[in-house]
Amino acid sequence: MAAGDAKSGATLGFLTVLEHEQHGLFGGYLILNHLGRPLEFHCTAPVKANRAQQILYGPTLEPFLYGEQIGLTLLTKATHRPALVCTDVRPALAVREHVDLPIALVLASETNPPAAGGETLWRVDAAHRTVANLTTFRHGRHELCLPPHRELDRATIAKPLEQWGDGFDLLEPFGRIREAIDEAQRSGKQ
Amino acid sequence: MSIDFPASLGSWQPDALAPRIAASIAFEPAAIELESSVVFSHKPRSAGAAQVLSLPRPLVVSVPIVAPRIKATSFTFSVCAPLNSFGGEPADATGAVLVPIRPRELASNLAGSSVASNAPSAPPATEPQTFTRLKPPRDVVKLVDRLHYLLQPALETLTSAGSLQFPFRPFSYQFEGIAFLYPRFAAVLADEMGLGKTMQAITATRLLLHAGEIRSVLLICPKPLVTNWQREFAQWAPELPITVIEGDQARRRWQWQLADAPIKIANYEVLIRDRDVATAAGAHYDLVVLDESQRIKNRTSTTSEVVRSIPRSRSWALTGTPVENSPEDLVGIFEFLSPGYLKSDMKPRQMGKAAGDYILRRTKDKVLTDLPPKLFRDATLELCPEQREAYERAENEGVVHLTEMGDAATIQHVFELVLRLKQICNFDPVSGQSSKLERLCADIEEVAASGQKAIIFSQWVSTLQTLAGHLRPFGPLEYHGQIPSKKRDGVIQQFKTDPNSHVILMSYGAGGVGLNLQFSSYVFLYDRWWNPAVEDQAIARAHRIGAVGPVTVSRFLTTGTIEERINQVLDEKRELFDTIFSETEPHKQLGLTQSEIFGLFKLRCPHGPINAAA
Repeated sequence: MAAGDAKSGATLGFLTVLEHEQHGLFGGYLILNHLGRPLEFHCTAPVKANRAQQILYGPTLEPFLYGEQIGLTLLTKATHRPALVCTDVRPALAVREHVDLPIALVLASETNPPAAGGETLWRVDAAHRTVANLTTFRHGRHELCLPPHRELDRATIAKPLEQWGDGFDLLEPFGRIREAIDEAQRSGKQ
Repeated sequence: MSIDFPASLGSWQPDALAPRIAASIAFEPAAIELESSVVFSHKPRSAGAAQVLSLPRPLVVSVPIVAPRIKATSFTFSVCAPLNSFGGEPADATGAVLVPIRPRELASNLAGSSVASNAPSAPPATEPQTFTRLKPPRDVVKLVDRLHYLLQPALETLTSAGSLQFPFRPFSYQFEGIAFLYPRFAAVLADEMGLGKTMQAITATRLLLHAGEIRSVLLICPKPLVTNWQREFAQWAPELPITVIEGDQARRRWQWQLADAPIKIANYEVLIRDRDVATAAGAHYDLVVLDESQRIKNRTSTTSEVVRSIPRSRSWALTGTPVENSPEDLVGIFEFLSPGYLKSDMKPRQMGKAAGDYILRRTKDKVLTDLPPKLFRDATLELCPEQREAYERAENEGVVHLTEMGDAATIQHVFELVLRLKQICNFDPVSGQSSKLERLCADIEEVAASGQKAIIFSQWVSTLQTLAGHLRPFGPLEYHGQIPSKKRDGVIQQFKTDPNSHVILMSYGAGGVGLNLQFSSYVFLYDRWWNPAVEDQAIARAHRIGAVGPVTVSRFLTTGTIEERINQVLDEKRELFDTIFSETEPHKQLGLTQSEIFGLFKLRCPHGPINAAA
């Protein structure tokens, strides 16, 4: 992955996973330059866990599928290295365990930030940390969450976020990804 | 039930571990069927069924985002400040940054303005955020190209992020119009008059220039609209340098050949005069925009021929009346966009379907639900006795004469009679008496008394000049073909600002298109044009974005005359067109054909001379 050109401003990555009732999960990853224009787009073919896998992976299934299977695959495909990867799906934060890139969950405005006390866990292993306490902070009009134990990332992402300014809607690119995945899927059918 | 996981599961490497993960399952009570069709029978201590948990690594479709085909490095901005996007934060003439204002503020601003043409709609804080994305046209086939458009930033982000400054926030339908134009190499923006076609075309052009997808634009418009386009560019794209091609031949030649002028504006007449240099082999435009593109509806005309010969990549046509007289008009416009795509022998529905992806047409009633109403108040009048006598005499003599001519009668002969009769409907040729004039004077008195302003349209300059004499107390101004082009802007400015000028007298030809007179609340059509589309254009001078109150339109029609018969035929045709055109909703009005004009006097349309005359 090539590092972003400091002169031209920070690039941002946007990672999301869509769930299709029939086909399963589609992953999409979009990298934007400092003007909000697309540099790269990657999407996956649908991924679907069967029933046995659902049972046996239990609550670790989502972080695994979203983070490691889909997220990691997409992030390693990219040639640009963004200053920050944003996601709008919480399980995708798990990809942080596998890459040396800060990743933040952008909460929709109507979404309440996670409770300060975190959620009740019923298993204890590394993978489950993704649903544990999240570090929540506000950047302008956006509310962002960092994966557990990644509080130090906040300092790393402060500068690129500052460069992008509060005027840019960090949730907007996810709409682009959804439409692009839809288009790619339609195109594949033809 | 017991499940044995390897001890190393905690490191979470399922991919590597998956083959080794096996569940030894022994079920006591009953058989359980999994979706994977692995059935575990009810046999105590039976051998465990191994379920492989590996997940196939997903296939990845990587779509590279290709760089724009044309790099934009050749133009500079007049006002440019570093910004987080697009690089420009233009200021207005005073140097202050333009701030979006709300619709109500705009309405009051425009009440005294002839310049601004588009209402802002800075949404209230509670308004749900909408995103208008570029949609790839149907003729973009490759997925990578389609995604290139889909993945561009939503147009609303341009205003919200402040990456491009807009004097007002465009309406949603205007964002849609911009998104329609942007990716298209051939497009007709056929919005009804007054919806802001100019602004949409300018903004789409501006975005393409900033994105580096185009670098040279030629805009062709009617001569009276050149200053209007300059004003609109200054308002909606102040950072873009404009070159208006004008002056003597040597100067124009130099202007045509300027390489570092991103936007050139030329009027149709100049283009035809300079056709050699404008269409020279070396000349090439990334985008050619035709304003009032109905000018090229006749494919055999010189204008059409010259316009089509301009070397270009993208072709956009702007018109409020894509179909003025017949579907053939649309074929003419498409000869510029995509030669041969539409054919004259296509059925209207077939033509509409084929053209559908290239045409965007919206009407005010559909998109501007908050635009003040347009109130029609048809004034059906009896001719005064002197007029009636003169009229009947002229008609009888004319019809007898035409009948005697038989097949030698041409369309011109009939036209002459029609025009003569229409003139009598305006004024008695001997006494100057006029029932229309009496009514008009009474109405204008009321308009002036209420401090309002009115536009009066006629097809004859002589009629306008006569009216000016009668309306002197109301400070009449004239805007028609006999007013020099250089003075016309001054006339409009005076009409806007002078509280004593309550009336402007306009000819359909000079004042019918491109002017923004939304501060006028009244429109009078003293006589009727042949084609309702032209009348609509005229009415739209006042009834457009920025109109602060209802616009009252008075159409004068004298009963038992040629005016009534023409109106009847046009109404019938309007209905017919409503039925035929449903695919693209082009303008649904038609003019009169030769046989219909003959039919006004119950004459048969002859062969031979008519064709030759036409």
